[in-house]
Order: sequence, then C-alpha cells, then structure tokens
Amino acid sequence: MTPNRHRDFKLDICSVVLILPLLVAPLLTESPLLDSLSFQIAIGVSATLAVYIMLRMGLLSFTVPAFMAFGAYAAAMLAKGGTTNLLLLMAISFLVPALIAVPLGAMVLRLKGIYFIFITFVFNEILQLIIFETPTLTGGSDGISGVPPATLFSLDLAGRAGIVLVPVVVCAAAMLCTLLVTQRFRAEFTSIEENETLAESLGVAIWKYRTIGFVASAGVAGLAGFALANMLATAHPSSFASWSVINFIAYAFIGGRGTMLGVVAGSALLIVMNSIFSSYAQLSAGMNGVLLLVVMIAAPGGLVGTCVRLYGAAKTRVNGALTAHVQEERA
Amino acid sequence: MSSASITALRVKGATKQFGGLKVFEGISFEVAPGGVMGVIGPNGAGKTTLINVMCGMLKPTSGRILIGDQDITGKPLHAVSRLGVARSFQQTNTFRSVSVDENLFRAQRFGGSHGGLDLGLSELLEEFGLIRHLHEPSEKLPYGLQKMLGLIMVLAARPRFLLLDEPAAGLERRERTQVDRFVEHARSRLGCGILIVEHDMELVRRLCPYILVLEAGRLLAQGSPADVLSRKEVIDAYLGASEE
Repeated sequence: MTPNRHRDFKLDICSVVLILPLLVAPLLTESPLLDSLSFQIAIGVSATLAVYIMLRMGLLSFTVPAFMAFGAYAAAMLAKGGTTNLLLLMAISFLVPALIAVPLGAMVLRLKGIYFIFITFVFNEILQLIIFETPTLTGGSDGISGVPPATLFSLDLAGRAGIVLVPVVVCAAAMLCTLLVTQRFRAEFTSIEENETLAESLGVAIWKYRTIGFVASAGVAGLAGFALANMLATAHPSSFASWSVINFIAYAFIGGRGTMLGVVAGSALLIVMNSIFSSYAQLSAGMNGVLLLVVMIAAPGGLVGTCVRLYGAAKTRVNGALTAHVQEERA
Repeated sequence: MSSASITALRVKGATKQFGGLKVFEGISFEVAPGGVMGVIGPNGAGKTTLINVMCGMLKPTSGRILIGDQDITGKPLHAVSRLGVARSFQQTNTFRSVSVDENLFRAQRFGGSHGGLDLGLSELLEEFGLIRHLHEPSEKLPYGLQKMLGLIMVLAARPRFLLLDEPAAGLERRERTQVDRFVEHARSRLGCGILIVEHDMELVRRLCPYILVLEAGRLLAQGSPADVLSRKEVIDAYLGASEE
C-alpha cells in the first residue's frame, strides 16, 4: 500500500470511529438537543456519503433525494404491511433504489459535467411528480403517514433510545458500505476522476465502475431515506425535495470531498452550526452557500483536505530541517 | 498462414473518415510479435488517427483490426487494452496528483497484474532515474521523467503489442536513447510487437527495421528505412518538406 492510499484508508477508518460518540452521547444524557443533533448528523452523513461516492469518480449527482425517497417509501410500505424488522427494512431500503439505479445508470452515466448534473436534477422533479400523481400507492401529497417504528427481534425501537439508535445503525451501515466500495475500487474511481482516457487505455471499463458507484450511492441514499422516514414516522414528498441535495453537496465540499472523514466533519460542522443559529433558520441555505463559496476559493480540498495538505507540507519542512541538521553534524 | 501472422496485430484495409474528410484509406499491414515497425509521415498524414483506430479509441469507417484471427474492430479502448494492445500518448500522460509508485501500481492493477514490480520494470526505473522519485507526485517530475513514466506504465499493463505515439516528442537528445532502451526491453523481455509513430528520423532508423510512410491518408511506401528513405517520392513528400 503506497503512503497516499494508507493515509486515506486511515482517515476513512477515523471517520467510522468518530461516529461512535454519536451512538453513545445521547444515551448517556437526557438532552433532547443532543438527540436531535445525533439523528440529524447520522442522516446527514448517510445522505452525504451517497454524494461522496459519486464525487470520487468526479461526478456530481443530484439524484440523492430521489433515491432517498425510493428507500423511504419502500421501507414505509413494508412497515405498514406489518414487517418492522430493522434489518429487513434496511435491506429493502438499500435494494430498491440500488435496483432502480441499474437501468437509470445505463441511461445517464454516459453523460458528464453539467449534462449529468442537469439530468439527475430533473430525475428528482420527475419522481416528485410521480409521487403526487400516484396517491393510491404513495399517498400523493399526504405521503405515507403512521409508519410503525422499526423493531429488532423482540426489541421495540419506538422509544427515545430507538429514535436515536436507528439512524446511527443506518449511518454505520452506510459508512461500512461506502468504505467497502470506495476502498475496494479506490484506484479505479480516483483514476476515472483524474484522467479517464489514461485509465481506460490501461484497461479500466469506465461504465462498469461508474455503474458500481451509482448503484452503491443509490443504496446508501435509500438507507438515509429510511432513517428519515422512520424518525418522522412518515414518508412524505416534502422530505425529499430536489433542493435538499444542495445541503449534502455543501457538507461534502466544506468537509472535504477526498475522504469520508471530510463528509463526517462537514456534516457535523454545518448541522451543529445550523442548530446554533436556528433562530436564523431561514438564512441557513444562504449561510451554506457563502461557506461553500469561501471554501471553494480559499481551500478547495475542504477542511480535511486542507489540514492534510498543511500537515504534509509541515512534515516535509521538518524532515528537510532534520536531514540538513544530520548532514551538518556529520560534516 | 505463418505462425507469426497468427498472433500478429493486423490492420486490413482500414479507412477512417470524419464526415467528408478522409483521414486515411485502405491501409493494410501487420505488426509481428517481437517486431518493431515505424510509421512516419508529415503532420496531418493520419498517423495518430491510425493509432487511435488500432487501439479502439476510434472505430474505423471500414476495414478490420485483428490480433491473429481475433477481430477486435470496434471494441472499446479498455477491451482492446485488456486483449493486449496498449498505447502511449504524445504528451505526458500520468495520474498527476499521485506518486510514481501509485501510478505504477494502478497500471499493473488495471492491466490485470498484481504482482509488484516484475517484468524487469525496476531495471528501467533505475536506469531512467525514476527509482529515487518513487514517492513523489508525478506532476512534480521533469517532463522527460514524466514521459518515461508514461511509457513504463503502458508496459506495466503487460501488453502484447505497444502502439507508441511519438515517444521521443519533447525529449532532449540525450534522453532519447532511453526510448531505445525502453523499446529494446519491451521487445526482448516481453516479446512485444511495437508500432512507433515518430518524427525523429535518427530514432526511427535505429529502432525500426521496417517502416511505413503515410502521406495524406495513403500508404506512400513501405520497407527498410534505408530503402524507403532514399526514394524520391518519400523525400519529396516528407523529408524534403521538413528540411525546407
């Protein structure tokens, strides 16, 4: 493993470890604020990971809200039908959007740049329209309400602990899936992002890896959608509005789109900031926009990327100084 | 059919046309395993387009590309590469943000080889002075080293045939001997059949026992360099023009 790969792997593992306090903190306190932050961050991280997977291949996908909706509605329908097992609900919320992503990917993954962004954005709008026009299946503008909470074997996850626990378990599953896909295909994904022609000339089937990433991204978004529907006890179209993807993109870019740690840092930071400044909630989108601009201009690698770059530069300077010192001593 | 032509890379009657513009027409030749063939011609003769067609980046308008009897016409670039026909690029072409060893790792992985630096590549890295830059990002390397890294990456993908698009372009005169060394290594150690598109006539004379001359999309002449480069029509069409 070369130093870069080793470093990125460590940062990704670090992000998984950082998620543990989310699991523990609210259960040790009686703070509703911490409960709220915990599930918001867990859902935010899960949805942002769906954006992150596609960004690893240089594709900015706007389909996340649509795939979240597929996951949420599939799980809500199953739960309303009487199947409330957490693992089954997670499985269905992953599989349904992942399966839909296969034919959709065949159509849209040949596009790049603004064309890809545009078509994936339009897909959200089409799905919203379908939801509104199919009230017998999806509840239309009312959504599917009264979704029973998930259970785990004999354990009822309806209480406060359950509301916190389910998003965190979902987030852990989303992180694991993302870690597996992005580490297993790291070389292919990053090569496609950096130099697609060279990668293909060396034998990389671009369409294959784009499809793998798109399917994994859809599944992870579906998990986030399920966590949201479970928490709200409702699968409602307004929860999956097209514009919501802007927040997830902001989390990824501000935290740093090169590692999962960036996703965790960006999501946590912005969600906590939005909570602190909640009295100015109507300004949150504007604040995210300004932050996004500042980071794109001043620190294109995001918070984590910039820290890694500064650390690398400092390390090189120290090593240089040490080498010079040793040479002086020898002389 | 001879045993050599069974596994040779064969171009049969290839024509490439963009709308009304015919880049080349009815080109036929074959590159034998372990053989080195040069393709020369003035700018715009269709040399790079020929490589693009052979490697799968472009589909020929008509004609066929074969490895032995296996038809690879129209197969995509990655599939042709996996079948053993790899290409290099005129300009430096590496994964710029990552280190030299990461570049080599990726080339080996994408080519289906995971066994560390084998194929004698470490010898080439040593000789070309890349070994001491293994952990540096490739974009920090001087142009010549980036160019040689690009060539070694192609070799790391374990090709059976190499299509080298102006491998000496942009290199200093003393660096060009590294291209000789590279070609010799690919031919003798891996048994690669090699097609070289190049403007450096000295290099072509040194490396290629057989050359094709393309001019305005047609095959003007073919044969040994001594024979072909002394023909009046070749001198008029190519060498004469370049000397003016």
